[in-house]
Amino acid sequence: MTRITEKMNPATVLDTLRKADGYYITNTARDMSQSDYTNRILLHTDLVAAKAREDAGYFSLEITGGASVHVDILRKQVDPFLKLRLLREQMPNTMFQTLCRGVNLFGYRPYPQNVIRLTVREFAKYVDVWRTFDFMNYIPNMQAVFEEVAKAGKINEPCICFSTGPEHTNEYYVKKVQEILDVTGEEIILCIKNHGGLGTPKRIGELVDAVKQTYPELPIHYHGHNTDGNDIGRITAAVLAGATIVDASDHAFTGFYGPPPILTVIQTLKDHDKVAIGIDEQAVIESSDAIRDERPHYAQFESQIKGFMPTVQIHKLPGGAMGSSLEQASKGGFLDKMPDILHKELPKVQKELGNYWSVTPGSQILWTTAVSNVLGGDRYGNCSGDLKNLLLGKYGPFPFYRPADWIYEKAFGPDWEKILEEQGGVEDIEDMDIEKERKTLTERLGKEPTEQQLVTYLQHPNDAVDFFKFEEKFGQSYVLPPSIFLREGGFQLGESLVFRDNNGKEHIIEIGPSQQADDGETNVYLNVDHHQRAFIIEAEAQAGAAAAVATLSKEEIAKLAKAGDIRAPFGGNVYEISVEAGQKIEIGDQVAVLEAMKMQTPVVSEIAGTVSTISAKVGQALKPGDKIVLIDSGEE
Amino acid sequence: MKTKILVANRGEIAIRIIRAIQELNYEAVAIYETPDRDSRHIRIANEAVWIGDGPRCDYLDIDKVITAAVHTGAIAIHPGYGFLAENPAFARACEEAGIIFIGPSSEVIDKLGNKVMARQIMAEAGIPMVPGTKNLTAGDEGLQEAADFGKQYGYPIMLKATSGGGGRGIRRIESESELAEQYPIARSEAKAAFNDDSVYLEKVVVKPKHIEVQIIADKTGKTIHLGTRDCSIQRRNQKLIEIAPAFHLSPELSEEICRTAIQAAQAADYFNAGTVEFLLDSDNSFYFMEINTRLQVEHTVTEMITGIDIVRTQIKLALGKELLFDQESVQLRGHAIEMRINAEDPQNNFMPEGGKTVTVYRSPGGYGVRLDGFCYQGFTIPEAYDSLLVKLTVFGWSWHETVDRLRRCLTNFVITGPKTTIPFYLNLINHPDFADGQFDTSFLEENEQLFEYEENITEVNKLARLIAEIHQKGKNTYAA
Repeated sequence: MTRITEKMNPATVLDTLRKADGYYITNTARDMSQSDYTNRILLHTDLVAAKAREDAGYFSLEITGGASVHVDILRKQVDPFLKLRLLREQMPNTMFQTLCRGVNLFGYRPYPQNVIRLTVREFAKYVDVWRTFDFMNYIPNMQAVFEEVAKAGKINEPCICFSTGPEHTNEYYVKKVQEILDVTGEEIILCIKNHGGLGTPKRIGELVDAVKQTYPELPIHYHGHNTDGNDIGRITAAVLAGATIVDASDHAFTGFYGPPPILTVIQTLKDHDKVAIGIDEQAVIESSDAIRDERPHYAQFESQIKGFMPTVQIHKLPGGAMGSSLEQASKGGFLDKMPDILHKELPKVQKELGNYWSVTPGSQILWTTAVSNVLGGDRYGNCSGDLKNLLLGKYGPFPFYRPADWIYEKAFGPDWEKILEEQGGVEDIEDMDIEKERKTLTERLGKEPTEQQLVTYLQHPNDAVDFFKFEEKFGQSYVLPPSIFLREGGFQLGESLVFRDNNGKEHIIEIGPSQQADDGETNVYLNVDHHQRAFIIEAEAQAGAAAAVATLSKEEIAKLAKAGDIRAPFGGNVYEISVEAGQKIEIGDQVAVLEAMKMQTPVVSEIAGTVSTISAKVGQALKPGDKIVLIDSGEE
Repeated sequence: MKTKILVANRGEIAIRIIRAIQELNYEAVAIYETPDRDSRHIRIANEAVWIGDGPRCDYLDIDKVITAAVHTGAIAIHPGYGFLAENPAFARACEEAGIIFIGPSSEVIDKLGNKVMARQIMAEAGIPMVPGTKNLTAGDEGLQEAADFGKQYGYPIMLKATSGGGGRGIRRIESESELAEQYPIARSEAKAAFNDDSVYLEKVVVKPKHIEVQIIADKTGKTIHLGTRDCSIQRRNQKLIEIAPAFHLSPELSEEICRTAIQAAQAADYFNAGTVEFLLDSDNSFYFMEINTRLQVEHTVTEMITGIDIVRTQIKLALGKELLFDQESVQLRGHAIEMRINAEDPQNNFMPEGGKTVTVYRSPGGYGVRLDGFCYQGFTIPEAYDSLLVKLTVFGWSWHETVDRLRRCLTNFVITGPKTTIPFYLNLINHPDFADGQFDTSFLEENEQLFEYEENITEVNKLARLIAEIHQKGKNTYAA
C-alpha cells in the first residue's frame, strides 16, 4: 500500500500501480478550473491549497495543460512555468500532470514537429505524467509527444477518447489500445478519457473490463466528468472492473461539469472494500477548508446555467467546453437558442460529421457548426476554415465514416471532389525557424527572452507578448488573491488590501480617493505601505486592456490581423462597421470601411470565425493600430 | 502706507525673501512671467505684478523690474540669486531710480564680477591666490604666455573666460599640445557666450575642497563672518549639497580662512551679505576663488548654525541699519546640511523633469528640519526655469546626528510625478565616506555607483498600479 511520489522513477511507478490492491486518485484541479470556472482559478488559490493537497497523497495533481496554458497568460496573467515552479516548491512529493492535445499541444491547430518537441522538453522539467490525446484517436498525431516524454524520463499516459453510439464498441477501443501499445511499448498508463462524462456506469465498467481482459498488466486511469451528476457511478464501476487511478477534485470547488468530489469517491468505494492508496482523508478535507473562502470571488466565471445536465448524453459537449460555450451563448445573446442547438442540431451535426469524439479542437468545430447552422439558417452554408480542414482530413482520417457528399458540396462547391483529391489528407507541417522566432521575440521585448518565454511565445505569440509586457508593468500579480485580482465594482474608500509579494514581504494598500480631470484622466490615490501615491489612469486605457498597447508597426498590425485581431492599418475615420457581434465571417469578408483622404477603404478579415468584439464606432477617428474588431476563430 | 519691497525673483528664493519682508512688517511685491502664474511665490506675496510672457527674458529685463517697483511704490528691491542679482547695471539702475538695491553697490558688483580685476584687488591685499595669469594677450603671443605658464607650474591648468562664472567658460588642459588646440576654441566660445573673448589661466588644484565663508558688512565698514561652508559635492561644477561649518577643519585653519575672508571683503569695500569662496588643497593651503556679491542658495545652513537670519539682516542693512552683533557674539553651534531636491533624473545626466505635475507632495518635519520650497500637490513644474523644487536643510548637534536626521527626512519625503534627486541623495548619504565627512570635489566622479538605484518601481508599486486600474475601471480588464 505505497503512496506514489515524485521521487520514484517511471518504472517503479508503473510497477507499484500494477501491484496495487486498491486505487489511486488524481486531483484534476486544472479540469475543475476549466470546466466549472472557464479556466479562471488563480495560482493564488492553488498555492493556498498546496500544502493540504501535498499531504493528501494523490497519485498526481493535474495542474497544467488543456486550455490552461493559454488562459494563464491571457486572463490570469501568470507565467505557466513560474506556476509549476512555485507549486513544486510547496509540493515536492506530488507528481504533476498535464493534458496535452498531441499535435495540437495546448492550442487548437497542429504545431510543427520541432515546436512540439521543444515545448514538451521544456514542460517535462516540471510535469511527471503526460496525458496525451487526439480528438480523432489518430495515434500518429501523438507520436512526437510520446517520444519526447519518454526521452525526458517521464510517464506517458496516452488516451483513448471515449464516446457513445453504435460504432463505439469495446472491440473498436481494444484495437485502439493495441495501436497505442505498438507505438509506445508497454511502459505506459492507459487513460480512458471520458471528457463528456458519457455512458452509464455499466458501460464504463464493461469497457474497462474489456481492456483489462486483453491487457491485464496495463494500468488504467479513468477520467470522467460529472455533467450528468453520475460520474461517481462510473468511477465506481471503473475501479470495480480494474481501473487503478481515477479523477476527482476538492469538494469546496466542485461544480456541475468538471470532476466530482474526491471525498465522495473515497466514501463510496470504501463500502466496496476498495482502498484509496496513499490518501490522507483529513488532508483532503483540509484542502477544501483552506480554499472555501476564495470560491465566492469566482462566481462571475461560473456557468450561466445552474444544475447538472443529463442531456449531455444527447449533445455530448465535453465538460471542459461547457463553460466557454455557455459564456459565448450568453455574450452572443443566443442563450434562448441553446435547447435547439444542444438537443437537436448538435447531435445531428455529430452524426453527419462522422460521430468522432467531441473534444478539443473537434468539439469546437461541432459547436461552431451547430451554432452557425441554427443562427445562420442555411445548414453548412457558412463553413469555417477549421471545418473545411476537418472535411479534408487535415486533422486525421475519419474514424468510422466520411461525412455525406452534400456537406462537401456545401463546403467546397461543385468541384469538391477535385479539391478533396488534391488537398485531402494529413499534411506534414514544415518545421519552424525557431531562431528566427527568438529574434522576433527579442525585438518585441527589447531584450533576450528566456527559453521558457520563447516556448510560451511559440504557443500563442501575441498573447505571450501582451503578457510579458503586463508583467513588466504590473509585476507578478499571482500574489493577489481573487478578492483583489477579480474584484468587480471597485474597492471601498479606505479599504485595506493586505497581501504578500513574490519575496514573501507583506504589503498593505489602502484605497484613497479618486479625482477625474476634464480630459478623462483619473488620479487614483493609494496608500502603499503607508506612503501616499497617485496613479494616473489615462482615459484611453479605460477603453480596454489592450488599448494600452503602444503604437504598432505595420508588421505587427498584419500579424495581429492573421490572428483575428483586426486593427486599423492606417489612420482614418470609421465609415462603416459591416459586421455584428456573434456574426460568422469568412476569409476575405469585409468587417469595416475606413475613410481617409475622402477615399473609402474596406477592411477585410484574414481569418474565418465569429465576430466576438467590436471596439470601433462609426465616426470614430482611429490611429494606425487601433482596434476595430476581434474575430474568434472558434478557439477555446 | 506700509513699506514695500519688491522681490525680483521667483521660486523658493522669492518665498524665502517674502517671508523675511513680511516678518519685518513690510509688504512684499512679487513679479512673475506667464509660465509662473501658478507659482506659490505669487500667492504669498502681498502684491504681484505680471511682467510679461517670458520665459526668463522678463525676469532679466531691468526696465520692467524697475517699472514694477516704481508703479507699486516699492522702496527697495531684493534680487535673490541668479537673474539680475549680480548684474551691476541693474544695481546701478536701482540707484538711479532712487530705489534701494539690497546688496552691495553697483561699483563693488562690477569690480568683483570681473575675475581679473577681483584677482588684482585680492593680490594687492595679500590674499592667497591660485597661481594664474592676467588676461592673455590676443593671438599667438597669448598662446606663448600660456605655454610658459604651463612649463612653470605644470599641467593640468585651467583656461577660463574672464567673463564666465558659475561653472561656465572653464576648460581643463592636460598638456601643451591640448593647450594649442583648445586656446582658439576657448576664445571664440567666450566671445559667443559672454561677448568678451578674454581668457586667463590658473593652476589646477587637484581634488580640492570647495570652502566658502559667509561675510556680512554694514555701511560703517564693520565686517564679520558667519563661519565656513563646505560645498565640495558638485556636479559639473554646480553645487548639490552644502554643509556648515566645513567639516574636518582644525579650529586654527578655520579661523585663518575666515580672517582671510574678512580681509578680502574689506579690500573690496564690501557692503551687505556676500560669500568669499576658496579652494582648499590637500596640504591645507587655500586659495581665493571669488566673492559672490549676493545671497547664496545655501545661506540656510549658515542660518541654522548661527541663528542669524541673513535675509532679514540684509534688508535692515540696506535700509541703513547697523550690524547689531559683533564677531564675538556670533557662535557656531552644531552642524547643518542642505540638499537641493531638484526635479531631475540623476540617472539620465540630471535631465530636468520640467513639464511634469507633482501628483503627491508630502514633506517631512520635526526637530532640526527646515524646508525652503515652493511646489505643492497639483503644481506643474514650468519647463522654462531651473529645476529646484525644495531645499531640505537639517540641523544636528553632531555630524552623525545630522546625517541620521537627513536620512530620515529623505526617506519620508514623498514627491511623485517628476523624478527627483531624492533617491540619489539617499544613496549618497549612505556612502561610508560621506558618513565620515570625507569628500572633495571629485566625490561624484569617483563614485559612479551612487547613480545605481531603482526608481520607485518596486514590485509593490507595480501591483499598486494594477490595483488602481482594477479600482478605477470597476473590474480587472486583464482578467476579463
